[in-house]
Amino acid sequence: MNRGLWTRETVVVILLAAYLPLALFWLWFGGIDDLQRFALALLVIAAWQLVFLLARAQPISLSAAITALGIAMLAPEELGAVRLILGISFGTVMGELVFGGWGRNVVNPATVTLAFLGFGFPAYAWPEILVPVAWAAIPAAVIGVMAGVMPAGLVLGATIGAAVSFGFGVLPATALPAAGVVLVLVVADPVTSASTALGRWLNGLLFIALVVLFATGWQGAAPVQIAVAAALLASLAAPLLDELALAHWYAQRRRRHGRY
Amino acid sequence: MVPAYPALDDAQDVEDIITDEAGLRPPHGTAPRVSMVVEDGAFVAQGAPVACHSTQTDICFVAPMPGRVARTELLSGHRLSEIVLFREGGGNSLTHDTADAQTEAGLRRLMQRAGFWPRIGRRPFGGMPNAAERPAAIFILASDTRPHAPDPRQALEGHEDAFRRGCRALSRLTEGPVLLCQAPGPALANTDDAPRLQVVITGPRHPQASAGLLVHAEYPAGIATPVWDVNAEDVAALGDLLHTGALPQTRLVHVGGSALKTGRMVRTQIGADLRALTFRHVRPGPHRLWSGSSLDGHAARWLAPRHRQVTAFTPQAPDGAPHWLVAALTRSARPKPMIPTAALDQAFAGRLPAAVFLRALSAGDDETALKMGVLSLLEDDIALADYVLGAEAHLAVLLRGMLERIKTEFAA
Repeated sequence: MNRGLWTRETVVVILLAAYLPLALFWLWFGGIDDLQRFALALLVIAAWQLVFLLARAQPISLSAAITALGIAMLAPEELGAVRLILGISFGTVMGELVFGGWGRNVVNPATVTLAFLGFGFPAYAWPEILVPVAWAAIPAAVIGVMAGVMPAGLVLGATIGAAVSFGFGVLPATALPAAGVVLVLVVADPVTSASTALGRWLNGLLFIALVVLFATGWQGAAPVQIAVAAALLASLAAPLLDELALAHWYAQRRRRHGRY
Repeated sequence: MVPAYPALDDAQDVEDIITDEAGLRPPHGTAPRVSMVVEDGAFVAQGAPVACHSTQTDICFVAPMPGRVARTELLSGHRLSEIVLFREGGGNSLTHDTADAQTEAGLRRLMQRAGFWPRIGRRPFGGMPNAAERPAAIFILASDTRPHAPDPRQALEGHEDAFRRGCRALSRLTEGPVLLCQAPGPALANTDDAPRLQVVITGPRHPQASAGLLVHAEYPAGIATPVWDVNAEDVAALGDLLHTGALPQTRLVHVGGSALKTGRMVRTQIGADLRALTFRHVRPGPHRLWSGSSLDGHAARWLAPRHRQVTAFTPQAPDGAPHWLVAALTRSARPKPMIPTAALDQAFAGRLPAAVFLRALSAGDDETALKMGVLSLLEDDIALADYVLGAEAHLAVLLRGMLERIKTEFAA
């Protein structure tokens, strides 16, 4: 039997390749501190994966690196090791591993971690996304979409939504870099975003709509905080958007064929 | 983005090969009860019935060449497994009386007695149709997008009139539409040839011309609305049957695969001996022969009744048991989850929400799958998705299980 290569780990490896420009720019501007945070996140996630491998026979996955990158880039600064480890443990275990590992989770573990850290330790400042790093999100998205591992509809929907709302002046320019990086790192995750064609467009549009809503109505929130909150809500809404898209598809087929 | 396949065609001309042995087999996955018409060792003319269906006695399995019945293998309950014939020259081909083919009943009887019936595919559930079944629609497949599949238009060259005659005859078997699926280009037939004929233009990439996905998109099959699909070359053969009274028993077949020195096109009989077709063309060393394409074929000795491809593989060396740690890291908790990627969407030609459908399939959610049109699909149609996902999910087995479940549920 000959076999194709789109298994889970292939998707992870291609996603990692897509994230390389983003990660390199971020490390270039961040230096050894950022590298340390990334290493710590990777270590904690790997330890939890090992625990689940031994206790529940769940195969380990390189997706740990993707999650670690998202957490290290977006988590609040100056948290200290203990709080960071606590947040990462909660995010990876409750967001991913209890569901059966990457590919079976319903929310992105990085989003859960970030939301946990944001709500749990509100005193700490959110990081600022540097403009060059935000530009590097564009090649990352292009590679991901071209290779088919990032949902094209979602990225395009979010881009068009952002362009339109920016044109109308409702999306402040300060929120754009953070929204772009969060879009590429956690929203455009093939597992937890919507999986139907129409649902993906809606998912992208919903993310941008939430960013606009929070940017205009949430006083004193940092751009990354806004984007992470929007990502969390958008990924929670993804199954609903899929259901909407499916209902539309069923109705279309019914209209055309008179039956399913 | 087109992957390079080994053993590309060098020779473009078609060789005529009638192998010395041939095996009659029922459509893959079925084993109908038959009663033998001739004994082992008897001589049969080409097109003469060798066995017929035990309850629907008009449906016959016919000899693809003049020869002697060498061996009959029946399973318990007189279920047909295979009948092997040795070629012997001198016999004429059997000619049927086509006088009463003007009526629908006469046409059906002619098609069944001449051995055309096993060449028809049906959905839902697959296999060949019952003798009296009236399809809600008939799909004529004049394009084939499977890797290295012979182009049906090449097979139709010189048989255009017979093809149109076959279309006309098929349209008499249904009250619904006859859908001619073909690649872009001049229409192979039009409504003059068959009323209610519709031309469906298919894309060039697999599985855009996969029968099940076309059925799913154009005329979904259901329990009460069975849909037939016939290859265009077989439609031309039907046209010849109506004109001459003898059903042509050869077809255009591509022989390819990684174990061959070159791929080639042959015109050979149905049930041809795959060893004879690949003899002197395989590379030295062990090889495995499949009837059908590398995606949806199966290991076989004889060319299956609906296949137009032969694939010769070099078997991969069995790798020894992996280290226990490697096995724990990679092989626990199977099947691995499938990730919805663009590749998966394209494996269904973007025609149905792939991730939701596969989730319903692997969870055994018959209700959702029915709603999404699972009755239009067979194993062949999801073979590409299975391949894309690394053949870990065993989708064909899951689909067959689901179809059998639905079948028993609706039969009750």
